Amino acid sequence: MTEKVEYWVKIPFGPIHPGLEEPEKFILTLDGERIVDVDVKLGYNLRGIQWIALRRNYIQIMYLAERMCGICSFSHNHTYTRAVEEAGNIEVPERAEYIRVIIGELERIHSHLLNLGVLAHNIGYDTLLHLTWLAREKVMDTLEAVSGNRVNYSMVTIGGVRRDIDEKKRRVIEEMIKYYKEAFPQIEEAFLHDPTIEARFRDTAVISKRVALEQGAVGPTGRGSGIRDDARWSEGLGVYPDLGIKPVMPQDVTGEKPRGDVFDRMAVRIGELWQSLELIEHALDAMPDGPIKTFPKDNVLYAKLRLMVDGEGIGRYEAPRGELVHYVRGKKGSDKPLRWKPREPTFPNLFSVAKGVIGDQMADFVVAVASIDPCLSCTDRVAVVQDGKKKILTEKDLLKASIKKTREINPEIKGDPSPLGVGCVR
Amino acid sequence: MDVVSNVVYPVAGLLGLYAFVSLASLVWEGIDRKLVARMQRRIGPPILQPIYDFLKLASKETIIPNTANYMFRAAPILALATAIALLAYTPVGFEPILSGKGDVIVFIYLLTLISFFKVLGAVSSGNPYAKIGAAREAALMVSREPAMMLAIFTIMWRIGKLGVDKPFSMATFYQHNIWEIGTPMSFVGALILLYVFAVWLASEIEVGFFNIPDAEEEIAEGLLVEYSGRYLALLKLTKALKGYIAASLVVAIFFPWGISGYFGLSGLSANVVDLLFHTLKVFVVLFVVQSVFRAVTGRLKITQAVDFLWKNAFLASLIGSLLIAMEVIM
Repeated sequence: MTEKVEYWVKIPFGPIHPGLEEPEKFILTLDGERIVDVDVKLGYNLRGIQWIALRRNYIQIMYLAERMCGICSFSHNHTYTRAVEEAGNIEVPERAEYIRVIIGELERIHSHLLNLGVLAHNIGYDTLLHLTWLAREKVMDTLEAVSGNRVNYSMVTIGGVRRDIDEKKRRVIEEMIKYYKEAFPQIEEAFLHDPTIEARFRDTAVISKRVALEQGAVGPTGRGSGIRDDARWSEGLGVYPDLGIKPVMPQDVTGEKPRGDVFDRMAVRIGELWQSLELIEHALDAMPDGPIKTFPKDNVLYAKLRLMVDGEGIGRYEAPRGELVHYVRGKKGSDKPLRWKPREPTFPNLFSVAKGVIGDQMADFVVAVASIDPCLSCTDRVAVVQDGKKKILTEKDLLKASIKKTREINPEIKGDPSPLGVGCVR
Repeated sequence: MDVVSNVVYPVAGLLGLYAFVSLASLVWEGIDRKLVARMQRRIGPPILQPIYDFLKLASKETIIPNTANYMFRAAPILALATAIALLAYTPVGFEPILSGKGDVIVFIYLLTLISFFKVLGAVSSGNPYAKIGAAREAALMVSREPAMMLAIFTIMWRIGKLGVDKPFSMATFYQHNIWEIGTPMSFVGALILLYVFAVWLASEIEVGFFNIPDAEEEIAEGLLVEYSGRYLALLKLTKALKGYIAASLVVAIFFPWGISGYFGLSGLSANVVDLLFHTLKVFVVLFVVQSVFRAVTGRLKITQAVDFLWKNAFLASLIGSLLIAMEVIM
C-alpha cells in the first residue's frame, strides 16, 4: 500500500545563470536538493569559426584561432601553428621554442589563477576571489610588457615567434617570478588549508578513474582523477623534455591518494602554478641565442606556405584546461586549408563531470562545473542530421529559421526581417 | 484612560524609531560593504549606496511573473509591516515602547514571521529556484531558533530570579543583566551563550556560512529571484531592519549599559543619547558577526549548515544554559 512517491522536478540551469561564465544549459533532475540526473545541452555559443576559417588563408587563421577563446588564446594559436608546421615540414628555431614555453606557461599561470578565483566565488568566498585576481594582475601586466597585449598575445607565428624576449623583458619576467614566490605560498595556504574550502570541495563531484577514462577526461580533470597524462610530457613537446616536465598529480600537492573530487582538481592547478614558475625560470636560463623565426617576412611565409603545406598535420598541446588537438589538412597550391578542426578539452571533461555530480547536492553543481574550468566558446559545434543524412545549412536557411523562431516567441513583432545589405558574401 | 500618553506617544515614538532605524540600518549596510571591500583590497561603493539603491528600486518598474499569485505581492508588504511592528518590542537602548510580561514570545514570533513571509512570497512566485531557496530558508529557520530560544529563556528566567518588575519581558535587560549574576560558572556560561548568539545572529542575517537561501551563484538569489522594483526595495529594507533588530537583541542581552546616566540626562534627551549609543554598539556587534565573518568564510551546504546549528550551536546553548541555571537548581 505504502508506495514510495518520488517528487522529482526538472529545472533548467542556464543558459544564463549567475554561476556560469558562459552560456551553457543543463537540465537538472532534482529530488529535493539531490541531483538525480544531468542533461547537458550545448550550442549556445556557436559562432561558426570553422566555417569562417575555411574562407581565410593560413596566416589569417592564426588570428582567428587566437580569438576563439579569451583565456587560452595562446594555446589555440600555438596548437594550430604546430599543426601547420607538421603539415608543411617547417623547422622552428630553438630560441622560438623557448619563447613559446615562456608565453605558454605565463598563460597557464593566469588561467589557473582565474579559475581558482572563480571556484572561491562560487562558494561565496569573495575575499579569496579578489585576492587571487589581484595576484593575477601581475602576470597580466607581465604578458602586456612582453607581448604588448593583455589577452590576445599574437606571439606565435608559423615557423617561430613574432617578438623576441630581450634583456628588458627578461627583467620584467624575473621580477614577476620574485613576486609570485611570495604570493603563491599565501594562495596555497588559503586554498589547501581553509576549513570552508575543505568542507565544500572535498568529496564533491567525484569523478572516479574509471569514469574519467571512459569519458576521456584530460588535463587537471583527468589528473585529479589519477590519470597520469600531460600532453607536454607524453608527446615530448618541443623543448619541454629538456626542461624536465612531468605531470602534476594531486598526491604531489596534498600528499593523499587522488580521489577525483573538486579539491583534487584544484590541488593539481595549484601544483601547476609552481611548475609553470619553475619552467619559466629554467627556460629563461637555458634560452640559446639565435633567430626567432624561419621566415623573416609574412609575405615570404605566405608564398612558402602555398608551396610547402601538402597533406595533413596534427598539433597537440596541453592547454590550461587539458589536451588540445588541432587538425589541419592542406593542398599544394592553395593558400587556404581544406579542413581545420580543433578539438577542445572541455567537451570530454564536461560529460565526465556531468556523470560525477549525480548524487550530490544542488549546491555542488556550480562548483563542479567551475572545477573543470569549462570553456564553452571553444567547444560548441553544430551538425544537422536529418533522416540519417548530413545536411548543410546555408545562411538563408538559418535566417529563415531564426525568423520563424522569433515569430513563434512574439507573433506581434514588427519590423522587416530581410537582411540589410548583401549579407556575408564569402 | 489617557489617550495622549497611551496612544499618541507610543505611535509617535514608533514612527520616529522606524525612521531612524531604517536610515541607520541602511547606512550600516553601506558601511559593511565599504569595510568588506577594504578587507578584500577593493575600494567599495559609497557609504550611502544602499539608500541610493533603495530609492532607485522604488522608482523602477515592478514585474510580476504570470505564475505568481496574490501572496507574491502581499508578502513584501507584510514582511515590512511585521518588521515595523517588531520595532515596538525591540530593546533599543531603553525599554521597548510596548513592553509587558512575556513579550519575549512576541519578539521571537514576529522575528520568525518575517522569514515566514519571505518564504511564502518566494513559494508563491512559481519559480523553481525560489522554491529551492524557500526550502533552504525553512530548513535553516527551524534549525537556528531552538538554540537561541533555549538560551534566551534561560537568561530571562535567571535574571527574573534577581527580582524584576515584569518577568520574561525585554525590559528586564535594563534592570539586571547577565553579568550581574556574578558567579564564575555563570560568567563562563554567559561567554558560551555569547558565542551561541553570535552564530544565531549570523544565521539570522544570512552571512558567511549561512548565506544559503540567497546563494547568488547557486540558485540566483533564491528567495528574491522573481522580485523587482518596489517589492525588492521593500524586501531589502526589511532585511536591513531585521539585521538591526536581531543585533539589538544581542546588544540588549550582553551589553545593555547606557551612557545617559553619566551625563545626568533624563526624559527624551536621555532616550535619544541611549539610542545613538545603542546604535553604535549594534554596529560593533554587526561588524564582528557580519563584516568579518563574511570576509573570512564561504558558504556551506544546507546539510552542513543544519548539522552545524544543531551539533555545535545547540549543544553550546545547552551547556551554557546549564551552567547559568546550575546554582539555582542545586
